[in-house]
Amino acid sequence: MKAKTSSLSNADKSRKTFFLNEWFGIQIIPSTLRVILTLAIAFLMGAIVMWVSGKDALQAYNALFQSSLGSRTAIANSLLAATPILFTSMAAVIAFRAGVFNVGVEGSLYLGAFAAAWVGFTFTNLQSWVLITLCLCASAIVGGVWCLIPGLLKLRLGVDELVTTILLNYVAILFTEYLVNGPFLVPGLANAMSEQIAPGARLVRLMPPSQLNLSFIIAIVVAIIVIYIMHKTTLGYEIRMVGDNPDFARWSGINVSSVIEKVMFIGGILGGLAGAGQVMGVHYRFIAGFSPGLAFTGVTVALLVRNSPLGALLVALLFGILRSGGATMELMSDVPRDLIRVLEATLIFFAAIEFGSLIRRRRRVN
Amino acid sequence: MAFLEMRGITKSFPGVVANDRVDLCVEQGQIHALLGENGAGKTTLMRILYGMYRPDEGKIFLKGREVQISNPQAAIRFGIGMVHQEFQLVPSLSVAENIVLGHELRRGFFINSREQRRKIREILERFGFELPLDVPVSQLSVGAQQQVEIIKLLYRKADLLILDEPTSVLTPQETEGLFKVLQNLREEGKTIIYITHKLREVKRLCDRATVLRQGRVVGNVIVAETNERELANLMVGEQIIDEIFPRSKQRGEVLLDLSHVSAWDDRGVPVLKDISFSIHAGEILGIAGIQGSGQSEIIEAVTGLRRIAGQIYLNGNDITHASPRRRRELGLAIIPEKRKEQGLNLQTDIKDNLISIRYFKFPFSRWAILRSQSISDFAQKIIKTYGIVAKSPRVLVRNLSGGNQQKVILGREMSDSPAVLVAAYPTRGLDVAATQFVRETMVKARDQGSAILLISADLDELFSVSDRIVVLFEGCLVFEARPEQTSFEEIGLYMTGHDHEG
Amino acid sequence: MSIEVVSNVLFSTLRVMTPLLLAALAGLISQRVNLLNIALEGLMLFGAFFAVIFGAHFENPWMGLLSSVLLNSAITLVFAFAVIELRANLIVAGLAINTLALGLTSFLLAALFDMRGAYSPSGLQSLPHITLPLVSAIPVIGPVFSGHGILVYLSWVLVVLTSILLYQTPFGIHLRAIGEKIEAAETAGIAIKRTQYIALLIGGILCALAGSQLAIGDLTLFNDSMINGRGFIALAAVFFGAGQPGLTTFGCFLFGLFEAIQYRLQMAASIPPQLPQMLPYLIVVISLTAISFQKYLKDRRTV
Repeated sequence: MKAKTSSLSNADKSRKTFFLNEWFGIQIIPSTLRVILTLAIAFLMGAIVMWVSGKDALQAYNALFQSSLGSRTAIANSLLAATPILFTSMAAVIAFRAGVFNVGVEGSLYLGAFAAAWVGFTFTNLQSWVLITLCLCASAIVGGVWCLIPGLLKLRLGVDELVTTILLNYVAILFTEYLVNGPFLVPGLANAMSEQIAPGARLVRLMPPSQLNLSFIIAIVVAIIVIYIMHKTTLGYEIRMVGDNPDFARWSGINVSSVIEKVMFIGGILGGLAGAGQVMGVHYRFIAGFSPGLAFTGVTVALLVRNSPLGALLVALLFGILRSGGATMELMSDVPRDLIRVLEATLIFFAAIEFGSLIRRRRRVN
Repeated sequence: MAFLEMRGITKSFPGVVANDRVDLCVEQGQIHALLGENGAGKTTLMRILYGMYRPDEGKIFLKGREVQISNPQAAIRFGIGMVHQEFQLVPSLSVAENIVLGHELRRGFFINSREQRRKIREILERFGFELPLDVPVSQLSVGAQQQVEIIKLLYRKADLLILDEPTSVLTPQETEGLFKVLQNLREEGKTIIYITHKLREVKRLCDRATVLRQGRVVGNVIVAETNERELANLMVGEQIIDEIFPRSKQRGEVLLDLSHVSAWDDRGVPVLKDISFSIHAGEILGIAGIQGSGQSEIIEAVTGLRRIAGQIYLNGNDITHASPRRRRELGLAIIPEKRKEQGLNLQTDIKDNLISIRYFKFPFSRWAILRSQSISDFAQKIIKTYGIVAKSPRVLVRNLSGGNQQKVILGREMSDSPAVLVAAYPTRGLDVAATQFVRETMVKARDQGSAILLISADLDELFSVSDRIVVLFEGCLVFEARPEQTSFEEIGLYMTGHDHEG
Repeated sequence: MSIEVVSNVLFSTLRVMTPLLLAALAGLISQRVNLLNIALEGLMLFGAFFAVIFGAHFENPWMGLLSSVLLNSAITLVFAFAVIELRANLIVAGLAINTLALGLTSFLLAALFDMRGAYSPSGLQSLPHITLPLVSAIPVIGPVFSGHGILVYLSWVLVVLTSILLYQTPFGIHLRAIGEKIEAAETAGIAIKRTQYIALLIGGILCALAGSQLAIGDLTLFNDSMINGRGFIALAAVFFGAGQPGLTTFGCFLFGLFEAIQYRLQMAASIPPQLPQMLPYLIVVISLTAISFQKYLKDRRTV
């Protein structure tokens, strides 16, 4: 476990040696070339998979980008798909930057979504802005606390966080499913879902007929806040020092455990907000099993941009394009949307190899 | 003809010449001591012999034939085996399994344990070992584990055994046991190179001794014809001190006080045994000792990174249970032992490294928001006052030279005039100018009323700046003196445990 | 609770623990060369997929099993190459395999068979079940131990074989040496990379068996959520068993028992099925925590 976290923490060392684009002291694009190259390889792999299974790759990719960027609504839908990924990739970036492997964000996403829905359909007679604030706060707190549990188990007792976070995700998914089937069962609904939230709790739609809504703006604001925190606050400083070299942090008097607890908590908050955005902006209710692994996609984004929050912002938008295009591609070219997952897997795979070769380079230097 | 001859071995690493035209000549059937302080080049020489390093220059002859040893496996084929300080044993495997590891006798897919056992027994009887074969090595005492290491080499038919400070981990009884084993091996015609810095053991066990100092051979003696005093002199060298700084003029109240401090290493072995000392304002206390005598644990105990028994007081406050940050708030500054791992964050720039102990305070931050301008100004100021050669505070620390890296640490730790400074090996690996700068900085701080705990492997340094010197040996303080009242020779004898053990 | 219910639950415990056990053995062997195998989950899914597809194609479950083993070996070799030769980050590469398994199986299912998420070809038969002679006649015990699919019995044999491999053969000893102290193995001249390759390969094959048991052991069905964290539960069983085959088997039995109980609860009671479904995951997390807590207390006592 130890080796793993340290490898992550050192992952972004080459960040500053590629392209030094700076903007008020913050880098804009981390190693753009590398990201583009990895993407190209992924698309090539996707094409090979399609070719092997007898599909027309060019047509599929054409459909993919047509349906994600081809019109105003298409673009809006891409931004909509990017919204939860923005939150989850920020959560993953912060965790990786501190050298922690937090895969528990998916659970926070579900619990946060349910918390938001519950507030939304319970306190229906509150004023709209009060209700929206309450919903967001509830989701953030529930999500944050959920992620803190494996963090505390890891720090106090040394329980492996990777396995516990993954298994607790299943618990969270099943628990929320239980809630809408048990205590919060709505008679007469065919699917496992909660009541609708009050109109006052719904987030404004930005570009109808697309479901793109205010949560996208919130996500962008949150991403900017995260970037600001990472570069301009004492907490961000602590996270960077702990991630770069926990020994150095400890000798400097930084409380490493407390920093990691904060990081887990923030990851959970972001996961909870991602869930709240889906409930308050898209579905207007909690739907069991609504997330197709959004937190894992966030992890993929973070791996790809190697822990630069600003890069994550851009790549999350790109993943929104893939996700939203994938659904329509299936209709237009009869290539299943699961192709997008294959592309993602290829991206992760190459990110893994790059991680490894970085460590090897360091070994040679020493 | 000598059994082993190494001729003109030179090996340099960036910045240091570890071996400088070293000659070593070992006769068959002898125990040959390789003597020297830490950093004298003993280990490098033996790693070359064992195929772990390639020499820049020089030749190796075995029984008169020149050989090229490219890796440890090749060394073993030439009959050379090495017992490292850290044992190469697999804890959960049994004694027998460890002995034959990688050289198992097979019967089809399985191990031919009967035949294997017979061969091991033969070795045990021939050399007089007594060991259970089926017990996991983790259950053996350290001494017995060491014997397993030796038998492992004998099983692989080694004729020349290298032992790297074999007694540093042993109890006195186990040491006696080891000596008996080594004497048996000698009688059976095996040749042994015995790396050590303990003179008593050389006298007791060895036939010849080669003494290394700063990478050079400074003596080659027949042990029976010499005495410990002469060996100690060869080891620590002549007393030529670089520059003696003026001693402390006035001693203030006690700023750092350790009272009955004991500590254990990560495996639970005691490494500090009831240590007490105090340092006054305006005083530099130097700690001398062979590396691994408990220095790291003293530093960690004071910093707050190791649990201890006993009390530590800083500036009158009981800090035994205080967090590292609280200690720093009370005026503690630390130059850690491992510059690149503990003292610096090599991934980031100078300014980030300079603020790691003060980023949470005004003017560096306010309401948890970093104030770039103040940080930058502070970094500029430190760069200027400490003469760090760097274009801007945003230069990455890993691109600085060792001396400039150390100045970054000094600038960070010293700029608030700390009450207490713990400086561990502050000039290790630095050039003359940087060394001088570091020492001057420490002396200046002392004159301004700081209490300084200086830990160094370099006697020159200790004599040059300390107001008082104590000697640490195997976790105990065994000697204390003012530098002008003692000598290298005396300190050297205490460091090697001479007067302590008898 | 009647005897019949108990023996029923135990029977299904033995059935549902089998994929866990096979995957746990895979995890155990790679754990022993110090490679934390996150990819178990994905490899099991691949194994199940190939078993169904090729079992149906050849109209023979044995061919399904064989294809599953062969193709899983190929995938594992790619994974091993990345990890061992290219020094890919073990965990990230494992996540990649898991994501790839999810994506590729669903993609191929849709692209080749026009199926979404689940596939149950009509011509596919499950692997044979075995009625143990003599044992089946014993009351109470007979119904528990007899009548399982062949892979259930194979998994028990494999536990014994794994024990023998680890403790009685040079290969197993090298394996343990590498995992416990790689420097010692290196100085002893053991071929480290080759041993790691073989360990991962054995793991891939065991995962193929585990997936096959789920897909064509009793049912004849592939479903993209059929693994559902079993790979990670298997990994947890390895932690639980501290790398010992016996204890790991016990861990699998324990986790399997709770899975069997939850099936029973789902059928029997009026509570929503999700609560009992949470049980195995919670039990795993709780038992991992308990083990760590015990270790923590022990460490504190020694300091």
